[in-house]
Amino acid sequence: MSLNSVILKNFFKNLKNYTLYIFALVFSVALYFSFVLMSQDDGVAEELTSSELMSTGFIVGSVLLIVIIATFVMFANSIFLKRRNRELALFQLIGMTREKIFRMLIVENAVIYFGSLIIGIALGFLVYRMLLMVLLRLMQIDLSVGMTFSIEAVIQTALLFIFIFALLLAQNYIFLKKTSLIKMLKLEQSSEASYRGMGAVTVLFGTLGLVMIISGYWLSASMMNFTNALIFLMFGVLFLTIAGTYITFKFSVAFLLNMLRKSKNGHVNVNDVLSLTSIMFKMKSNAFLLTLISVVSAISMGLMSLSYISYYSVEDTIEASVPNDYTFYEEEDMEYYSDLLNENDIEHETVNIPTVSYDVEGDAIAIDAEAPGGFDTALALSMVSEEHVDGFEVEGDEIIITGVPYFLDSYIEFKLNETITLISDDYERDVELVSMGENAILSSFVTYGSPQAIVSNEVYEELEENHNYDEEMNQPREGFAIDITGEDSESIYQLMNEDNYSQFESKINQYNMQMQGTGLVMFIVGFVGFAFLLTSGCILYFKQIGESEDEKGSYNILRKLGFTENEILKGLTIKMVVTFGIPLLIGLLHTYFAVNAGGFLFGNEIWTPMLTVMGVYITLYSIFALISLMYYKKVVKRSI
Amino acid sequence: MILEAKGIKKSYGKRVNRTEVLKGIDLSIEQGEFVSIMGASGSGKTTLLNVLSSIDRVTSGHIFIEGQDITALKDKKLAEFRKNDLGFMFQEYNLLNTLTVKENILLPLSIRSMKKAEVEKQFKVVAEELEIYDLKGKYPSEISGGQQQRTSAARAYIHQPKIIFADEPTGALDSKAASNLLRKLQQLNDKSNSTIMMVTHDATAASYSGRVIFLKDGLIYSTLRKGDRSQEEYYKEIMNTQSVLGGVGVES
Repeated sequence: MSLNSVILKNFFKNLKNYTLYIFALVFSVALYFSFVLMSQDDGVAEELTSSELMSTGFIVGSVLLIVIIATFVMFANSIFLKRRNRELALFQLIGMTREKIFRMLIVENAVIYFGSLIIGIALGFLVYRMLLMVLLRLMQIDLSVGMTFSIEAVIQTALLFIFIFALLLAQNYIFLKKTSLIKMLKLEQSSEASYRGMGAVTVLFGTLGLVMIISGYWLSASMMNFTNALIFLMFGVLFLTIAGTYITFKFSVAFLLNMLRKSKNGHVNVNDVLSLTSIMFKMKSNAFLLTLISVVSAISMGLMSLSYISYYSVEDTIEASVPNDYTFYEEEDMEYYSDLLNENDIEHETVNIPTVSYDVEGDAIAIDAEAPGGFDTALALSMVSEEHVDGFEVEGDEIIITGVPYFLDSYIEFKLNETITLISDDYERDVELVSMGENAILSSFVTYGSPQAIVSNEVYEELEENHNYDEEMNQPREGFAIDITGEDSESIYQLMNEDNYSQFESKINQYNMQMQGTGLVMFIVGFVGFAFLLTSGCILYFKQIGESEDEKGSYNILRKLGFTENEILKGLTIKMVVTFGIPLLIGLLHTYFAVNAGGFLFGNEIWTPMLTVMGVYITLYSIFALISLMYYKKVVKRSI
Repeated sequence: MILEAKGIKKSYGKRVNRTEVLKGIDLSIEQGEFVSIMGASGSGKTTLLNVLSSIDRVTSGHIFIEGQDITALKDKKLAEFRKNDLGFMFQEYNLLNTLTVKENILLPLSIRSMKKAEVEKQFKVVAEELEIYDLKGKYPSEISGGQQQRTSAARAYIHQPKIIFADEPTGALDSKAASNLLRKLQQLNDKSNSTIMMVTHDATAASYSGRVIFLKDGLIYSTLRKGDRSQEEYYKEIMNTQSVLGGVGVES
């Protein structure tokens, strides 16, 4: 048998082990390629309001993808090298030189790698259309998706993967160079020696890890109370949670499981053997990897949740902050466009709302004293008379507050049926807060971002009269707007926009821009997050394959002792739940606290988006756990 | 009679490439016996132990343990049977690395609903007998080979099985540790009237048992009984038989 045939035979025997690796590789090539193709799609770029946003987004996304893919490939390679250690040592033992083995590895890797590259590109081309449709749908753009195959994209993808391939070769070379024959033969046994008892250090650090994470969470939840050291605190939270995660994996899990174990005082059953005791040792040695996975999971879940929150809240945000279909800066602009609409037989209504601004205080308004951004000046309200707006009923001294921006919402509490004092210089007027509205009635450039308040006509006249007229503030102001009867549409916006008479604000246009922006961000974050999820799932799976090989002997013993396949699998199921569950759980908790601390800045609807993202993560992790369990099943079946 | 085997045949491979390892073995073991099985490599001794202990299935023939035909049992029942009624010792100690000595020993008891105090008492008796009680909190990687094998013996004894099967239990031990272990096994056998069946290729090890069965090419070649002889005489006789069996010298 010639050397080449040995290599070939060996390769095909190993191919089965590589299945998931190849799958993940093909998938990452496909993801990357379709990503590049999308970023080069002219049709989309033209359609977008801000193509700059798109290109920046795609560049950031592709850099992240490259980092994820390169890390994954190298990590998987190192796992495979370790697994094939004995085989490589055997080759050396029968007299093969290191160079020859290295060449063999090059050939093997090249076949797998470039095979996956070609398949991946083909798949990527197919997937790309689908993904583009998803993206356009998210951005709510109607555009038929064409097929553009760009050689440039192929070259870009190929270059990247050739670069990663070079990294792999370097890794293989270093591995072969570094390890001596005797080490290679012994490597497999070395892991066995680490089963030892726990010292006081474990107990100490085990407690520390948990304390660090919990205090990190506590800080993140109460961060807003310490405005002056916000940046400092944020780094503190990051440090506490990340270092805490590492220590948790390294010591706390083992520590907790050991306590549980001690409580059994030696009376372990088969489930304990397969899950508890095995995890106790394995998690310790995988601490760094697990920390990396759960922290990056948390980051990607957090970003996905936040971008989904802002995407999800676009409609609400716009609805709450932009009251009319079109808003104008001057009265004559409004009149001009009103005439234009009349010429085109579009039914509409003009809206004209005068307003005066009053500072307010009183029992009804509780401002969180430690709120950031300095609420040193009093809260101002834009007062509007009841006769100018629909849907609000006020009588006498009553007042209704509406259009509170959601970022203010978290710091100010409005109490119903309490008194509010309206102040303008020396003039003061008491009114009673009777109810809260939701949507804004004036455009933000009229109110300077303050909430609006509706009072009865009499009160308004009084207020207007006593108001301190201020040239600088241009008070009182008036809001000029047009509401289209029935539905506003893109074509009406185009008609008005093309006329080019003067600038105005359009609700539909704002909505579209925000949808596109947040949609694109969400898509890219989701895309990268998915790539990460896929690769990290694969890595956990590879780890499980390795562990199942290590533990083969245990299954053999257990089965000889008379434990059935099912009993062993039951124990392994618990093990899977814990191994996949703990990183997931920590990731989920991190995400929850991160989103809770910062989510309100992105939108008012936090729960639905966050739970959706978490649900997707949990589902995909469960799939990987299930695949691992199936692999275990095969190993257990073969073990006797 | 605790174990009775009738016409045991075992062959491996498909029709074309068939090798018959056991060619029809009849044997019976009484309650409280300590039996060794010897033979050259490839004579089928480990295969015999495996089929008798229900780890492997026979091709034909029947095995009765306390009158129950175990060849007729389904896999699940067999596992149940092994768990409850049999104890095992192997050459590579076969301890679980992730468990402490005590946990390893108590593992077979985990399926029984025994009172904790009772389990503790049982553990103490067996572990003290085998002189490993002080090691109960250690992991297998922290103790010596001889101690590991004694742990393995304790695990085989703890649930008071009907028969203990031992496959080359001294194979990986130095001679001192080996004789130490065998003496312990002998004591346990005497004291608790347990039944032990041990496969070995070491004449010294075999000389601790009450009866030696020699296998050759899948058949029983001869049987030696210790009777009232001293261990030394018995050992010499075993050696003689072994050299006849191997043709020339002693198979190591």
